Amino acid sequence: MKRFYLFGFLLLMGFDTLAQISFKYAGTQALPVEASLAWLLRVFGQPWVYGAVIGYVGAFFTWMALLKHAPIGPAFAASHLEVVSVMLLSVWLFDEHLNLARVLGAIAIIAGIVCLGFAESREHVSDTEPAPAEA
Amino acid sequence: MPPTGSLSALVASLWLLNIVLDTGGQLAFKAAAGDPAAGDGLARWKHMAARPWLWLGVGCYVVEFLVWIAFLSLIPLSEGVLLGSINIVAIMIAGRLLFGEKLTRLRVAGIALVTLGVVIVGVGG
Repeated sequence: MKRFYLFGFLLLMGFDTLAQISFKYAGTQALPVEASLAWLLRVFGQPWVYGAVIGYVGAFFTWMALLKHAPIGPAFAASHLEVVSVMLLSVWLFDEHLNLARVLGAIAIIAGIVCLGFAESREHVSDTEPAPAEA
Repeated sequence: MPPTGSLSALVASLWLLNIVLDTGGQLAFKAAAGDPAAGDGLARWKHMAARPWLWLGVGCYVVEFLVWIAFLSLIPLSEGVLLGSINIVAIMIAGRLLFGEKLTRLRVAGIALVTLGVVIVGVGG
């Protein structure tokens, strides 16, 4: 069962990451930003925006499945920790640089998300208590 | 509000708009799903579809989708996803104000850390 959760969390992160990467590509290809039909046509006229849709829909259904079975705390954390994978991928895919502010900011944000994950776990402790050792 | 670091007025407006739409959408969905008169199964969906909350939530999310694309096209992705983490904080505070959800010490610590991280990224780029 643990392996099932882990797979679910990774799948959720994967879909979220796909969505963010696709958003970036879609936006970049639709530049310049303007409140106009032309911009909308540029956004929906290239394939990346549909990658974002797939990422969103996939993340939604994975999240719903996880909520039914997995403990809420780790699920909450997993649904937000895509910041890590997205940051690392943006260095590789978009030649971005992780300056000190971004690294420090990311560490604080991740620590905060972990705190919130534990807070959720504690509140739902009765129905998320892990099953006794499955030896 | 003083300009923060490298963020232009357009980027800051899109960021704020994203917070409002994301929080508004989540609250609308919460209002739709939490209606005790809704019943079960298909009847529940019919009940929700006949009321504005569900559609308000969908509308918020559709516009947010576009706002987020515009936002990310103007700043580095690594910075954008970090700044977007503030939505977690906004939703928790809204949940507390509107639905009386508890803010335990651990939650307050989490909110403070996420906010601190977003401020560091916003000021230092």
